[in-house]
Amino acid sequence: VSGVFCWGAGAGQDVGRSCILVSIAGKNVMLDCGMHMGYNDDRRFPDFSYITQNGRLTDFLDCVIISHFHLDHCGALPYFSEMVGYDGPIYMTHPTKAICPILLEDYRKITVDKKGETNFFTSQMIKDCMKKVVAVHLHQTVQVDEELEIKAYYAGHVLGAAMFQIKVGCESVVYTGDYNMTPDRHLGAAWIDKCRPDLLITESTYATTIRDSKRCRERDFLKKVHETVERGGKVLIPVFALGRAQELCILLETFWERMNLKAPIYFSTGLTEKANHYYKLFITWTNQKIRKTFVQRNMFEFKHIKAFDRAFADNPGPMVVFATPGMLHAGQSLQIFRKWAGNEKNMVIMPGYCVQGTVGHKILSGQRKLEMEGRQILEVKMQVEYMSFSAHADAKGIMQLIRQAEPRNVLLVHGEAKKMEFLKQKIEQEFHVSCYMPANGETTTILTNPCIPVDISLGLLKRETAIGPLPDAKKPKLMHGTLLMKDNSFRLVSPEQALKELGLAEHQLRFTCRVHIQDPRKEHETVLRVYNHLKGILKDYSVQHLPDGSITVESILIQATAHSEDQGTKVLLVSWTYQDEELGSYLTSLLKKGLPQSTP
Amino acid sequence: YRDLHTFELQAPTRLIEWARGSRVCVAGYGQSDGNEILQLIPPPTLLTKETQGLCPERDFKVECGGFSERPVYSLKYVPDTSLLVTSGPPDSSLQVWQVSAEDSDVIKSVSPIATENGTGQSWAKIATISARAPWVLHGSRLDRVQITEVESRKNVYTAASRGSEELSGLAFLDCNTLLLCCATGRLCLADVRQPQSLVEAVSVPSAPCSERWCMGTRHGAQGLEPSSQPVARLSSRGLLTLTDLRKTSEFLALAKARVPSPGSGAEFLCISWAPALESCLAISGFDGTVHVYDTQSWDSSGKEVEPIFVHKGHAFGGAGGSGDPPLVTVHTWHLQKPRTLLSAASDGSLHVWDWVQPCGKC
Repeated sequence: VSGVFCWGAGAGQDVGRSCILVSIAGKNVMLDCGMHMGYNDDRRFPDFSYITQNGRLTDFLDCVIISHFHLDHCGALPYFSEMVGYDGPIYMTHPTKAICPILLEDYRKITVDKKGETNFFTSQMIKDCMKKVVAVHLHQTVQVDEELEIKAYYAGHVLGAAMFQIKVGCESVVYTGDYNMTPDRHLGAAWIDKCRPDLLITESTYATTIRDSKRCRERDFLKKVHETVERGGKVLIPVFALGRAQELCILLETFWERMNLKAPIYFSTGLTEKANHYYKLFITWTNQKIRKTFVQRNMFEFKHIKAFDRAFADNPGPMVVFATPGMLHAGQSLQIFRKWAGNEKNMVIMPGYCVQGTVGHKILSGQRKLEMEGRQILEVKMQVEYMSFSAHADAKGIMQLIRQAEPRNVLLVHGEAKKMEFLKQKIEQEFHVSCYMPANGETTTILTNPCIPVDISLGLLKRETAIGPLPDAKKPKLMHGTLLMKDNSFRLVSPEQALKELGLAEHQLRFTCRVHIQDPRKEHETVLRVYNHLKGILKDYSVQHLPDGSITVESILIQATAHSEDQGTKVLLVSWTYQDEELGSYLTSLLKKGLPQSTP
Repeated sequence: YRDLHTFELQAPTRLIEWARGSRVCVAGYGQSDGNEILQLIPPPTLLTKETQGLCPERDFKVECGGFSERPVYSLKYVPDTSLLVTSGPPDSSLQVWQVSAEDSDVIKSVSPIATENGTGQSWAKIATISARAPWVLHGSRLDRVQITEVESRKNVYTAASRGSEELSGLAFLDCNTLLLCCATGRLCLADVRQPQSLVEAVSVPSAPCSERWCMGTRHGAQGLEPSSQPVARLSSRGLLTLTDLRKTSEFLALAKARVPSPGSGAEFLCISWAPALESCLAISGFDGTVHVYDTQSWDSSGKEVEPIFVHKGHAFGGAGGSGDPPLVTVHTWHLQKPRTLLSAASDGSLHVWDWVQPCGKC
């Protein structure tokens, strides 16, 4: 049985972390290694005991692939490689390789330094883990070993996110990670060619969502910023260095220009340097618009956006500041937040998800009194808003991707099983493929039809193509031949050649059947009756009455003799070759029914 | 506007129905197979009375869905049951569906309610009520109006025939009173307890060319005598009539809206009363706009009236310049938020908007 086995140590009915194991033609690949952001204990890591039962991970797994830098896809990687133990290759795109360690380190700092946890990976572990990473380019075929190859496709969603095709021989699987089919201001849309994988593994968390338009979200965001600035307040937008920050900057710059606003917008310096650096490296990962902007001028040379200095936070009057880090857990954004929190005219807009334990998470949950270092209580009077621009594929997007890739089977990874029945039916009806939705820990087996290459002899090919209509590139043509399997080669040859090669003689099979008919007349009269009867019924066949008294129907021979003991009974001998089995059986049953009474 | 949210459905809908628990239902009406019925959970911003700021959850969620082989032109939930009924071409039979959102997210098809299909029958208009039992009132023509008990499939009422015009709408005013509106504008009241009686309301002004009419009745006004709410009728030429059902021999008001002629068939004409605002109604189906009117100042002169608000969003949305401009297929009012409406158009867009009362009016 040839198949793709898939089991989710993480995702699959468990929104929060992704980790899928695929076994394809004997190769084992781990897709993503995410961390569950909602838990504080061991439940945050995937349960690797499924795999470790089989021995050492390094021996069992052929490679690990990480789709993008979000923690729910890579957060458990250092734990997995350094604490559980894996020394094999880890593949990811270049931007992911650059950004992952930053996020992992940030997360480690929050968990260990702020929350005082002990069973967690260390900074050194992150570094050691990243040493095992092999970075890949888009559309570059990477040979993991002689048989296993992988290829990354653009996924949109965040900078560096990729969908991966994993191929062994003629069997392949495509894993999408998180992707987005509609472009936004700084990223393009996901794209894949008609690679026809045996299985497409796609996230379906947002399949049931009908998103409100980006224009509305942006308009609301601008309205909030505008209102705050108009009443003299300050707006703090904590961001991670890349991606959304860039997009929001472009949005604000355009708005400021159009509305002729005077309030200053600042970008904290640490951000500028880092962002500039990454964008120079990964400019090909952003979309056309960004690239044009970057080429025309330095990305952060906006007319209205300037570099921030710490002292500016104390300036009176309205302003907007983008500062890192994104979850308000440390550094400059937290400093600014502390200064501005006490004034209700100010506003903080969180542009994305915040990990539990961070100030960002606390204020989004509604907390308005925060305990800071040194037991100081900070009262938050400033407005807290949340705006998510991060994009995932909805039902329409998933259908689009399936239409592009043309997989033979689809596997959905998501939270609750029962809530995906509709999507499953929709996919099955539209594309006539099988759709699976495994639970966490469940193994799904997908049977594939591998293509086996067979050499066909030229003579046979010529002969077969000469028969029947001209070959059509789009339609499969049925050919007859003999398959010879020797060692590891498969050859298709004509039966005659096969016999010759194997030194066998051709045998002929002939069947003979006796049919008794009641007829007192002479033999030759019986034969005549039979001949007329058959001629009347078998109008499309060649029925002949030969001079020697026998009848032929095509190549079937019928002869009549008198029964040895009973003159009133005639015995018809019906004889045919194996090739005429069908007609022969038909004739026999026809004759057994007897002859019609009135015959000439 | 006070608020405007735009969404894009995978396929356009010509119905927006409210269901238990603030759910909203839409369905596809394409000619080919594979139309979807979708029961949606609106975003929290729409569920609360007060409009919030930047809410994290701003999207509609598909709670459950079903597949219909026919285009779905009309859909009604059967109150107090987990069933809904749909209708659509090619005939006037009804399809019955089961919604069990807790168990599965698939809306399952249950056996249909067949009707005798004579010639010239188009799709059935439907209305539902659960008073004595879950009933569905349906019919495509004035002489084919009947009430079927949904669970037993028994016919409990057949209206007397007063002509065979095509119906454009029907409604239960209460558990005994039916309102039937023909495409010609003819409005009839019927009593379930007296099948032979059919009271006609004052006819609409006759027109030189053929025009199509539809009606809007007021739902949601609890505790008020149903017949005290005027019935509004809208024609494809923009004529509006208000009729008090207690005085059916005259018009309460007659007015004209300034609208372009709807061109292809006027099949999306829609008029509805605001459930939480006194004397406000909305009309759509002429182009990519929805008009809101305050009828308090209307008289019987038939003069042109100005809308107090026009929603133009659908006309500007979507892929610019590709084919025909979008046509609003349906609109409906939010049941609690007084100035919030939902509207859908032929390009698949779904808008939720909240308009501001212009200054100077109460």
